[in-house]
Amino acid sequence: MTLDDLAFRLNEYSGDEGTTFDAFVTERGILEVVCSNDDEFPIHVTMTETQLLSVTPLFSTSEVLPDKLHELNDAFLRLSPAVPLSSIGLQGDTYILFGAMALSTRLEVIAHELEVQAENTIDVLEAVEHLLA
Amino acid sequence: MGVLRDMFTALKGGANEVGEAIVDANAIRILEQEIRDAETAIASAKQSLTRMKSSEIKLKREVATIDADVADYEQKAVKALNAGEEALATEVAERIAELESERGEKASEQATLDTEVQKIHAMIKARERTIAKNKRELDKVRTVQELQRATESVSKNFAATGSSGHRVSKALERVKAKQQGWQDRMEAGEWLEHQEAGDDLDAKLRAKGLGDSANTGASDVLARLKARQAG
Repeated sequence: MTLDDLAFRLNEYSGDEGTTFDAFVTERGILEVVCSNDDEFPIHVTMTETQLLSVTPLFSTSEVLPDKLHELNDAFLRLSPAVPLSSIGLQGDTYILFGAMALSTRLEVIAHELEVQAENTIDVLEAVEHLLA
Repeated sequence: MGVLRDMFTALKGGANEVGEAIVDANAIRILEQEIRDAETAIASAKQSLTRMKSSEIKLKREVATIDADVADYEQKAVKALNAGEEALATEVAERIAELESERGEKASEQATLDTEVQKIHAMIKARERTIAKNKRELDKVRTVQELQRATESVSKNFAATGSSGHRVSKALERVKAKQQGWQDRMEAGEWLEHQEAGDDLDAKLRAKGLGDSANTGASDVLARLKARQAG
């Protein structure tokens, strides 16, 4: 499966709860997916030899209130295990929500993961919104 | 040593941009070289296994031939004994003893071969584990590189829009407004469905002469007004 195939199949897909996807591959070879339940924070999908990675960039460290960085990191470490299917991480200066799937994952499962990741994004951001500028 | 420690040092040192080395290039080369070495070793081990298999087949055939010969000579020895040819029977028995010792040698050769085959299988397994382990290590590096790629374009946008402040809060508000709108539309849809179902029921009742008549309104109002005047 290539990212182009995945984009095509996600665009055709409609979930049980009516969730749909807008997916396209960018010039840089990243699959950008907008889930209908959260169109503000697109999910960036990419792959390695073994995994499909789904990444939602959340915010930059510069957007955290200056004296709240430690509190935020602490909150994220504590919250991360409670977030279903996604983990929270720091990539460079950007906080990310991400998931990893085996390349052999079925489309229905990929769609479910992406749908949950989109929901998680809103939940996680709501939880720490008060720590952001 | 795993690549995670290497990576930690590099990331801590600020290697966050796409293309920047997140692990020592030498470490990657070593992992890749080990994979290639293991693959070469497995290929040559498989050739050895093929050779050993043909030796084993040959040995088995030889042992089977000896067994057949022994059985044959045993019959002949018995015949010789029955014929009272003691000396001949002894000669045959000596031949059988020779064959049996030859068989013993072949059997021990086969046992040695079996041990070798098992060793080679174990070696192949170990090499395969090295390959899998190194591939996992390389995949860690690749994962971080892909995360960098997947995050890069957006984080540049954050830098541009972040200065305006409350970017996340505003985005959350927009999402929630959309979700609320969607929720409202769904509720409106349900309400309408409900109404239509209710209208349907009223219509059915009226058709049977059981519902409120649409025309009683005026007489009701008049009666009410009269009652108020009287009061």
